[in-house]
Amino acid sequence: MTPENAAVPMLPGLRDPSRRVSRRAVAYWTVRAALDGLILLAAEGAVAAGTGLGAGWVIALALTLLVVVGYVLIMPRWRYRVHRWEVTADAVYTRTGWLSVTWRIAPISRIQTIDSHRWFGERLFGLANVTATTASAAGPVHIRGLDTATADRLLDELTAATGALPGDAT
Amino acid sequence: MISEARAGALPEAEPAGEPGWQWLSPRSLVVRPVTDLLRALPVVIGLLFFGSRHGAPNLWGLAFAGFAIATSIVRYCTTRYRVTGERVYLRHGLLSQKVLSVPRDRIRSVDLSAHVVYRILGLRKVHLGTGRNDRRDGGSLHLDALTLADAEALRAALLASPPPAPPALGEAPASGGLDAAVASGPAERELARLAPGWVRYAPLTLTGLVIVGVVIGSAFQVIDATHVNITAIGPVHRLTVTLSHLTLLQRALEVALAVLALLVLLSVAGYVALFWNFRLVAVGTGMLRVSRGLLSTRTTTIDTRRLRGAELSEPLLLRGAGGARCLAITTGLRVGHGAERGGSLLLPPAPRGVAAAVASAVLETAVLESAGAEAVAVGAESVGVPAPGTELAGAGAVAPAAAAGGWAAELLTGDLVRHGPSARRRRYVRAVGGAGVLAAAGVAAWAAGAVPAWAGLGSLILLPLGAVLAADRYGSLGHRLADGWLVTRTGSLIRRRSVLSTEGIIGWRIHQSWFQRRQGLASLAATTAAGRQHYTAHDVPVAAALDLATSATPDLISPFRTTA
Repeated sequence: MTPENAAVPMLPGLRDPSRRVSRRAVAYWTVRAALDGLILLAAEGAVAAGTGLGAGWVIALALTLLVVVGYVLIMPRWRYRVHRWEVTADAVYTRTGWLSVTWRIAPISRIQTIDSHRWFGERLFGLANVTATTASAAGPVHIRGLDTATADRLLDELTAATGALPGDAT
Repeated sequence: MISEARAGALPEAEPAGEPGWQWLSPRSLVVRPVTDLLRALPVVIGLLFFGSRHGAPNLWGLAFAGFAIATSIVRYCTTRYRVTGERVYLRHGLLSQKVLSVPRDRIRSVDLSAHVVYRILGLRKVHLGTGRNDRRDGGSLHLDALTLADAEALRAALLASPPPAPPALGEAPASGGLDAAVASGPAERELARLAPGWVRYAPLTLTGLVIVGVVIGSAFQVIDATHVNITAIGPVHRLTVTLSHLTLLQRALEVALAVLALLVLLSVAGYVALFWNFRLVAVGTGMLRVSRGLLSTRTTTIDTRRLRGAELSEPLLLRGAGGARCLAITTGLRVGHGAERGGSLLLPPAPRGVAAAVASAVLETAVLESAGAEAVAVGAESVGVPAPGTELAGAGAVAPAAAAGGWAAELLTGDLVRHGPSARRRRYVRAVGGAGVLAAAGVAAWAAGAVPAWAGLGSLILLPLGAVLAADRYGSLGHRLADGWLVTRTGSLIRRRSVLSTEGIIGWRIHQSWFQRRQGLASLAATTAAGRQHYTAHDVPVAAALDLATSATPDLISPFRTTA
């Protein structure tokens, strides 16, 4: 679907899932990363101020700031390139992560529940996620950073698909 | 008790009004007071023999005991159960009445358990497991407690397969019906029985450590409850005096020896208490039954339809002594910490050969059940028993099975596909690299004068230890796919070899860290509803990992493979 898809897949031999998440997810991840970084910096700054703000602390704070800025700038964009998903008639297939990448494949026939959470932060950005759980405690498949309309459509599709199948999916 | 149906005393408002509702055993009323009394016994003894600094007995404890007894009476009076052709009902509750019910064809396990008090009273707790979702409490139903005879009759009736045809509504299953089911039970075949010599493996597991913790914990509780000054007690006082005259090294040595002796003693005692009379029995082809215990007994029944595989686990020390444990991979019995306590144990620590033999016997029983004679024929064909003595070439090839059913033994003891030089390098980089960082920190601290020389230079010993660990961890890595079974082996402190039926695989998870990507490796996890929920082959070359997943579940993976 995207130009990059035709190129060599990320895992040689396994094609990339066809669809990307919403572009707004990048903004959402950036804000979250920035907030996390600010909390870290504030905590470190408080400790530093409490102990007299020596030269060592100033260097440590500067280094932390550098790492946080790098993380905020790089991680969301990198993550956007990695996060992909695809739902076929038989399976849900996702790729998540950034430095470490995880591919998950779950057959539709083994899906037990479908649900969708919209956290406050996600709603601000018009995002939603869809989670498909299987009978395995290790098997939930999360699709995060979808735009709300896509998530709703996906939710309906998956619910219809799984509802039609008999058995207890173990 | 079963004939003692007091249906007339029940409210008529609901289906419960029909006959067939039964009481639990009245003896279960005695359980709670007796248990409380036994639990209080150490405290009472402590008070009698060692005296107390503060004489006031704990009134809160008494009040609590009284409340507990009252609760158990109410619970007994408000609890009934009923077995019909289709379902088992349990009704309880005084103010808000609750009726639980389980369809009989969903019942996957019927476990009987009893601690000492139950055994003295001839009672058994009955747990009906549905295996539907072991993480939710709603999936199981407890009857606490029935007499031994009733409990066994109930188990036989519920697990008799196929489930009996539903009788006419309102027709209570009389005790005669249950007895008949017992009499016509399928043949039992013993797969394993505890040999007294296996006790030698007891000190090699962590069970002893846990027991020591519990014993010390309860000792402190008694001391706390009785306010006894232990250093004033004769032997303890003499011991502390003697110890204080020794040098530090002698003291450390003596304490270490004493702790070691205590560990050995308690772990042996624990092994005997948990696993005495251990028996694994195949009941027909549809069921496995594990029974064990010296004082507290437990009987677990595993429906082979729910069996997805078996696992050999070898904790490091046990492995060194040539021992192993065997666990069932089954839906509905979750593998947790301390598998002895869970229901999934198929064999306590025992010689490795015995564990492998038990595991393969269990797998064979499961295959016999799952598809009948047809599966056996297919299995024999694909394992390849052509001309006897024909050797198949290749490390991953299946050796010709000498006896029928050799395929399962081959899965549990045969060679595995190794993960190759990249995986080996990764193990070394991780273990030796980690040790190197620690050692460098140690040496740097010594150079800076922060720690004494022995600590700084001593940390260098981490390097060879890391190398040994890496070699052992790589030695554990392996996988194999044969006859619809996925075999994975991993781990050093606890090496686990799992044999999982590909039919039990309900998804895949492929994980690749940044370093793994550069080395062309990936970790492949098959997710399942059974056992540990996922079984992972670590650090497999990417192409091999994808081929493995594709061969195991072609329908699932093929659509996502690139043909290139």
